[in-house]
Amino acid sequence: MSFIEIEHLMKIYGHSKSDKVAVLKDVSFTMEQREIVGLIGASGAGKSTIGKILAGLEMPNKGTIRFDGHDLTKMSGRERRAFSKHIAMIFQDPYESLSPRMKIRELVEEPLIIQQIERDKQKRLNIVREALQVVSLDPDKYLERYPHELSGGERQRVGVARAFVCKPKLIIADEPTSMLDTSLRLELIALLKSMNEQYGISYVFVTHDIALTKGFCDRIIVLHEGEIVDEGMTDDVINNPTHPFTKALIHALLTLEGAHE
Amino acid sequence: MRKSTKFIGLTGVVMFSIVALFAIFGPLFIPYDAYKQAGASFQPPSASHWLGTNDMGQDILAELAVGARTSLFIGIMTAILATLIGGIVGVLSGYIGGRFEQLMMRIIDVVLTLPYLPLMIVVAVYMGPGVFTQIFVITLVMWAGKARQIRAQTLSIKSAGPVLAAKTMGASDFYIFKKHILPGVFPLFIPQFVGAVNASILMESSLSFLGMGDPTMKSWGSILYYANSRSGFLTDAWIWWIIPPGICIVLVVLAFSFMGYYLEEKVNPRLSAYTAAQKRVKQQITVNEELVAQNIALAVRDLSVKYPKNGKFTTVVSDVRFDVKQGEVLGIVGESGSGKTTVASAIIQQLRSPAHVPHGAIYFEGRDLQLFSDEEIREVRGQQIGYIAQAAMNALNPVVSVEKQLKEALLAHQTLSTKEIDERIDEALIQVGLEPKWRYAFSHELSGGMRQRVIIAMALINKPRFVIADEPTTGLDVMVQVEIIQLLRKLQRELNLSMIFISHDLPAVLSITDRLIIMKYGHIVDEGPSKALAKTSTHPYTRRLIDAIPLLQPRKEEVRDVVH
Amino acid sequence: MNRRFSYFGKKLFQYTLVLFVAISINFGLPRLAPGDPLLYFFDESTIKELTGAQKQEVLDSVGLGGTLWEQYIQYLKGIFTWDFGTSIKYAQPVTEVIADKLLWTVTLILPALLLSAVIGVIIGAYSAWNRGRKRDIGFLTMMLTFQAVPGFWIGMLFIAIFAVQLGWFPTYGAVSIVQDGTTWGFIKDVAWHLVLPIATLSIATVGSNYLLTRSSMLESLGQDYMTMAEAKGVTKKTLIFNHGLRNALLPIYTQFTMSLGTLIGGSVVVETVFSYPGIGRLLYESVVARDFPMMQGVFLMITFGVIAANIFADLTYPLIDPRAKSSAVHKGGQ
Repeated sequence: MSFIEIEHLMKIYGHSKSDKVAVLKDVSFTMEQREIVGLIGASGAGKSTIGKILAGLEMPNKGTIRFDGHDLTKMSGRERRAFSKHIAMIFQDPYESLSPRMKIRELVEEPLIIQQIERDKQKRLNIVREALQVVSLDPDKYLERYPHELSGGERQRVGVARAFVCKPKLIIADEPTSMLDTSLRLELIALLKSMNEQYGISYVFVTHDIALTKGFCDRIIVLHEGEIVDEGMTDDVINNPTHPFTKALIHALLTLEGAHE
Repeated sequence: MRKSTKFIGLTGVVMFSIVALFAIFGPLFIPYDAYKQAGASFQPPSASHWLGTNDMGQDILAELAVGARTSLFIGIMTAILATLIGGIVGVLSGYIGGRFEQLMMRIIDVVLTLPYLPLMIVVAVYMGPGVFTQIFVITLVMWAGKARQIRAQTLSIKSAGPVLAAKTMGASDFYIFKKHILPGVFPLFIPQFVGAVNASILMESSLSFLGMGDPTMKSWGSILYYANSRSGFLTDAWIWWIIPPGICIVLVVLAFSFMGYYLEEKVNPRLSAYTAAQKRVKQQITVNEELVAQNIALAVRDLSVKYPKNGKFTTVVSDVRFDVKQGEVLGIVGESGSGKTTVASAIIQQLRSPAHVPHGAIYFEGRDLQLFSDEEIREVRGQQIGYIAQAAMNALNPVVSVEKQLKEALLAHQTLSTKEIDERIDEALIQVGLEPKWRYAFSHELSGGMRQRVIIAMALINKPRFVIADEPTTGLDVMVQVEIIQLLRKLQRELNLSMIFISHDLPAVLSITDRLIIMKYGHIVDEGPSKALAKTSTHPYTRRLIDAIPLLQPRKEEVRDVVH
Repeated sequence: MNRRFSYFGKKLFQYTLVLFVAISINFGLPRLAPGDPLLYFFDESTIKELTGAQKQEVLDSVGLGGTLWEQYIQYLKGIFTWDFGTSIKYAQPVTEVIADKLLWTVTLILPALLLSAVIGVIIGAYSAWNRGRKRDIGFLTMMLTFQAVPGFWIGMLFIAIFAVQLGWFPTYGAVSIVQDGTTWGFIKDVAWHLVLPIATLSIATVGSNYLLTRSSMLESLGQDYMTMAEAKGVTKKTLIFNHGLRNALLPIYTQFTMSLGTLIGGSVVVETVFSYPGIGRLLYESVVARDFPMMQGVFLMITFGVIAANIFADLTYPLIDPRAKSSAVHKGGQ
């Protein structure tokens, strides 16, 4: 039995008969502990939806998700919420996901308060400090600041610290680099990788940029129109794509790269 | 916030204070009872009666003061009730959703559709005249609009980042409500309240004017009711009988309008990027023959751009200098804050105040664009310099068809017959790889890539020799990006365009440009031929940018096997 | 296509609901209010003269006989056969009286609506284009002031100044008592009477048109497509009208078409001030005269008018906003 088992996930958006879109048709895959899995696909392919379902933002129409033996889809609301301390999420837009009225300290502290981990204020603060240090933000400099005072890269790090603070087993990273400056992207990926190595955190890394998965993801899963079309170890898929979509994607990227070699 | 907005708000506060003071202290200091005869009828203003008397000999100033109390009381009471009821219904329906929300929305729709003044009149008639009736009917018609607005606000908070993040943390609905929704929605209550006072004072005065006021409590509206029903305007007394109550109403309503305007801006700032442009006068322009002789299409010399911030100036572009030869493609690369987009706007003279250009010249084919008049620059835009913008959602006018927008681009610079226009439009679309049938489409019917193609077609339709492409691939899917870059490369070669290609995406830039300049914080930090720069430049920032490109193939390896 | 039908289905349901509520208000209020229900149909003096049996007969004839449910059905039947009862004051069927006044209402409201809309939009657009400049602030202040002024007060002032003091215009009514007999003379006379009321109504409503135009225009002027169009080298006129105003027009159009509902309702306050024989004044008169069938009838007619205007607005909106054709949502609201 794998650590995470996803079986026959289906998700449909839309209400009226003429309006329905099947975002996920029949998705199944597994993940082990400490594994980093990349979800690749074009926009609308369904990759973000998988992330959202795992993080508890959406419910699938059909399918099961087993996490460490527990079936997430059959849990009551309260049980599922308690489970959220094991699954955290990093969002794409570093600014929009941080409340402008809250200081950095409050933002990173929020998961601890919601999950009622550590009632003692001082001990909580120490956990927050630790989280900020892990993402290389000096706590003394950043604790009392507001999001609008930080740069995009710094804000995203706050998002990572916030996801880390409950020491989750899995972090869903939903396009965490696409709104960052290019020079910062690999840095963020390096940070996530170091957290994986040091703390054993698994990642589901959602992205449309397959090049980012190289050196970071152990395995990648390629989605196209709601279905898995390619899957395997990262280098295998990149070097030997089987599905036409994956082939076209790799080809396009290599064309770009080839131009400047 | 703009100074003018603050000033308007302050004026409102002052005006309201004057009237409030009058309402509170007026009846205490004015020696007459507004309901009793104080002198002879129709006395003109005098030392004992500052505004004279009405047809029943009552002192008008006393009436005004008492009226102030009534009108303000009713106005504020109904505003409080309507805002509270509307606000609570709004927040709850937005938050709870489901059947409850549906039900509330139906009720709100019905209340808002019914004609409000006749409804108020009908209900008031059956309830009998009185202050309570007035408060009731005005609240009855006012709460619904507030509920709808506050519900909308609640919904937008519910779907915003912080709430979603809290959900992933396992927050209960109650926590989200308490910690995120209420603090987010509550500020909106205040401008809503202010707007409500505004409306209810006017409604009360209308109702009182129609005779539905409380006969035992004079209000400004009822003073006018008596003035009207006793034909006050036919007498000479109209000046001091009719004008003052109206002025009082206007003062108070205006005061609240002003305060509301300020508060709305504070709580819900409408960040319209628009500011009026400065007029450009015709000036004498000399041609820089040297540049022309060297075939330099565009020469930017010592260009700086500053923006005022908190009293000081921040330099966004600093002494930038570069050339673009005829037929050459120059790339401008930089991250956020580098100033590259400002440079592009500056070139086509689209910088808006408060941007300030302290010095610099932009020579297009030898002539400094900064000196061009409005009409001269209009001729350059779209005809000699084409501008390819990023294909954002609103880059194309959403309610005008592609065809009309292309036609507009043509007719801005040439006169053509209908047939010629048609042909040119078809030609332009085919050139960017779109079937002519898409001319009838609207922006929302196009995918991001197609929108970008339309924008390219629009920029090239008048066959300009120079093109600025400002982040033409940002926001597009990777495969579409490659298509667009290949399209631009093809067009540039076919038409021998001189081009500036601006992007933060280095791989894209490297594949299409001859030369590069790298910008950081407004300065050019590195420049040179594209491929050479990428390979051999020693500038640390350039190296950082190059090294930050995630590659599928490790560097310096053969790219043979996988590509076609 | 399915989507569009379900959208209109929803809207129709909503309007039917509105009608139902209006009808129920008319039905319910007199029966809820304390006192003798007959007072809502006849004078006190008349009622005193009726015997017990006659009272019951009368009750039956005005729909107050039988159980509540029977009364309701009877009332509904009446409405759908266009029988709104008989006016106490005019001793005529309510619908007849309303029909008589309808033309007067329209000749007052229509020009005022158009004038107010045209002026409000033009100045609003001009103001938005010149945002921040003195002329913008000036117009903004002026229009906020106009919005703060009660319509009836403007009317009273106009009468006092232009009719009584200066004698340029008549003080009341729609026509003079003495006519010269010719059609042209009649038209001139009516027009002369309409000047002040139309001016009053226009000033009272121009403010909201202006404010909506200005804010809507500012929104569209700040959009990317404005920069795009300017970069194409189009003229200033094209920018303002084909792009700025064209997009700003969407909410303006919705507001204008919905205001067409007042074509039937008229303006209660303005007509009252000018003693103008429109439907608005009819409502006021019926309140004063305690002519309840008339009052209810007018209320219902006005509701019909508003619903008709709303339906018109909903049906025609997709013509100006192509996005509304493929999606079910059109108004900015919900």
